[in-house]
Order: sequence, then structure tokens, then C-alpha cells
Amino acid sequence: MEQKFEGTPQAEIRLEGRRVTRTDVTHDWGSQLRWEVKRNGQVIATPNARLDASYEHPEAVAGDYEIVLQLFKYVNYQKDKNGEYTASKFIEISNKVAYKVG
Amino acid sequence: MNESRAKIRNCITIFLVGSPGHVDTWDMKPDAPDDVRGKFRPISTNVSSVQICEHFPLMARMMDRVALIRSLNYNTGASHENGQRWMMTGHDFSPNNVQPHIGSVVSRVFGPKGDLPASIILPGKIGNTGAGPFHGQTAAFLGSGHEPFFLGSDPASADFKVADLAPPANHSEPRISARRDLLGQLDALQRRADSKSAQDLDASYARAFNLLTSSQTRMAFELKHESDKLRDRYGRNTFGQSCLMARRLIEAGSRFITVNHFDTVFNLSCWDMHADGGGLNNTYLDYERLLCPQFDIAFTALIEDLEQRGLLQETVVAVLSEMGRTPKLNPRGGRDHYPPAWTNFLCGGNIRGGQVIGSTDKIGAAPHDYPVEPPRVLASIYHGMGIDLETTMMPGPGGRPVRFIEAEPIPELF
Repeated sequence: MEQKFEGTPQAEIRLEGRRVTRTDVTHDWGSQLRWEVKRNGQVIATPNARLDASYEHPEAVAGDYEIVLQLFKYVNYQKDKNGEYTASKFIEISNKVAYKVG
Repeated sequence: MNESRAKIRNCITIFLVGSPGHVDTWDMKPDAPDDVRGKFRPISTNVSSVQICEHFPLMARMMDRVALIRSLNYNTGASHENGQRWMMTGHDFSPNNVQPHIGSVVSRVFGPKGDLPASIILPGKIGNTGAGPFHGQTAAFLGSGHEPFFLGSDPASADFKVADLAPPANHSEPRISARRDLLGQLDALQRRADSKSAQDLDASYARAFNLLTSSQTRMAFELKHESDKLRDRYGRNTFGQSCLMARRLIEAGSRFITVNHFDTVFNLSCWDMHADGGGLNNTYLDYERLLCPQFDIAFTALIEDLEQRGLLQETVVAVLSEMGRTPKLNPRGGRDHYPPAWTNFLCGGNIRGGQVIGSTDKIGAAPHDYPVEPPRVLASIYHGMGIDLETTMMPGPGGRPVRFIEAEPIPELF
């Protein structure tokens, strides 16, 4: 029997300076929760967001930064030859925030 | 109910079907070679001498409540079923000598506290794990009146209801009661035979009718009475909601709840990390993204919730599995079955948390000190529940009194 996951998870995030803070996740599926940090459109970090509700990306390289909260969505455990999931994936569950450095 | 029965504590057992790799979770070896150490890193906990896997950050904050047993081992076959039998009955039995589940023993000796069955297994029974039907989750010779009640439904489903507690639409409570009366008359005829099977059936019928007609019983299974915030805290998935239901059932008077984390090891994400590329293709990815976070959230929610309601001291929580996994990674980057060493843990009741019992060698291949075999864990659960194993007997095969288990509790746990 596959696990069932109830509802649609959601959270809100807000930015204060460069520190991002999330609300509790409603309908939290309990899977891996992470911040996705992009600089100039490229993913540069995906730190765990489960333990602390706030995060400040330590890098100060100049660029346009964007952060969103992601939760792992389990569909099934199928993987390709490289060991990556074929259907299960991270999905965005929050609004996005952005800031500029430099 | 007499006073000694009333004093017996409750137990919630979380059974991790498939078996987590001990070196990847609660007995990490950061100084071992690459092909042993694995992918994950250890993190500190709120007990200075204890580290656990980085993917249990919430559990790391409550290690002071938990007693890890890092030197578990047995030397019979390395199948899931062997481990299930050991850890759920304290015996590695053969098909002609089936032994009862620990919850059935508690049910037989102490009985239910109210209308709820004394032993309930959530969300369903263990099915195919590869090597036969004997998983150790039956009442065996203790009789059908002490079979665990299987929920048989998924509490994380939007349309969740307990199938066995929902009478057909045209069956009102008076009609059910009339049928109980009729059955009583039939039973009286049958009882003239005075056979044990007739008595067992009586107990089963009584339990079934109590379940059908008691509003308190039905309510205990209804998670809708919990706040959304608390349901979120446990994780909105089958395992998390089963853990929440376990707390509700303990609160409502059940004595022994078992939560099976998965009912099979095939074709789904579970702890059985062979990485075989086929039907047993669990890998580090499954541990990192799904299994460890799901366990971390649900387990810590359960402990917090029990504590906040004043139930933790009255409830032993045991996290058990069938065995460990090979210290050395297989060529595909997975780990295979390994009974010579693994870690399980206990908390709640009168268990003394913040400690580690036993240890393994440098690569987690064998106990280094204080080897512990499965029956001692079950003896410790009984002892943690307040059961005196020297004076409390159960009826064995043929009705003669026997010890609950042929092992002594681990004294350091208390």
C-alpha cells in the first residue's frame, strides 16, 4: 500500500533584509522541505528548511536572488538509470521573494 | 477492573518495515571508510555524547527522552519475517508453533480498559515481505478474542472511515442489538459443547458488537476532532496520521497500539534499501527526501503530543525494526539485510532517556559491547509498562501458565 498524502501544502514566506522566514506549512506532507535559492536564474543552494523557520543565504556575490519554499512530492519510487526520480519531485509551495546584491 | 491491571502502562510500537540501515541513521560511523560511512553526516543532539543522522533534526532535539539500543543482534536467517517474528513476539517460531504478538499477550492478560480492543494495529497488517505469511502479528494460541484489531483503512485519505465500524446504511443500532440477542441465544446452544473455540468466538462477537455500537469507540478513530495544526504537525501522510490516531486510541483506553510503517517492501519507497534497480530499488534518495523526514516529523510530534497531554509517562514508545543493513555498501550503493547488528530505541513510561545501551565495532558489523537479543527488548517493553515478569504469567499452549518471555529486561533502561 503506497502512502497517501492529504491536501495541498502551502506556506507564505517573507523577506526582511536578506533573511527569509516561512509560516508553518499547512497540509504538510512531512517530506523533505527546503529553500531553493537562485542567483541570476541559476539554482545555487537548496538548504533544509525543516528545522528553522528562517534562513539567510550566506553568499554575498553580486546578482539577483530569488528564494522559494519547496516540498518533496512523492508520486512513486521509480528512478532512472542515474538514480534520479522519474515522477516524484520537489514542488513550490510558497510565494517567491527576491532581493539584489551589489 | 482490579487495581493492578489499571496500573499497567500503555505501549505504542512503531515498526519500521524493511529495516533502516543502522549506519545511515542511529549508529553512524563518520570515521569509517567511504564504502561503509555512506552519504549522510552525523549531527549533534541535545545529549552531548550522542550523534544521529542529519536527516533527523527534530529528533536530535529530544534525544534526552530516548534510549538507543545500538547492539541488537540475532543469528537466525536474514529475512524480514524472521525479524518481524523476533521483534513482535520475542521468538523465531516455526509454522507449527506460532507465537502471539506482544499486544495480544497484553490483551489476554490485562484485557481491554473499555470498549476499544486492547491491541490495535495501524493502518493495516503486514503483507508480502518476501518469505512467507508469518509476521508475528496474530494472537496465535491466545485465541481469536485477542487478535489485534487491524484498522484496514488509510487515515490520511480524505474519505477515511473504519470499514469495520460502519454498519450498512439500513442497519440501525436497534437492529444490531436485536441481532446480538439472537446471536446470544445461538451461542447459549453452542456453549453447551463448552469448547474453547466457542468461548473464543463469544469474545470476538462481544468485541465486534461493542465496536459497532459504542459512540466513544467510533469517535476515537475520527481524526477530524483534531486541529488542522496538530494534524499538520504529524505530517499529512499515512504514517503521520496513523501515529496521531495511535495517541487518540491510547487516550481513549486502548492499551497497545502498533503502527506499521509500510505493509510491504516491494515497489514502493520504504526502508529496504537494496538499490537493486528493480522492485527493491530504494536508495539514499528515498531516505533523504521521504523516509527520514516523514519519520522525524511523526515520531517527534507523537512524543511532544503525549508529553503535553500527560500521557508520555503512562506510555512506552518503542521504535523497532527487523534487523540492520550491511555495513559495507553493495556495488549499487545500497545496503542489504543484516541481523548481526542494528539500533532500535525506546522512550516514555519509566524508560530513562538520554542514553545509549551497547555499541558496535568501528564499521557497525557486530556488537562491540553489551550485545542485546530481541527478547530482551520485549522484556524491557513489558517491564516499562509496569509488568512484573516474575509474577505475571500468561496461559501457554494447552492452558498451562508460562512466562511472557524467556528473557530479562535491560536494567540500565530504567
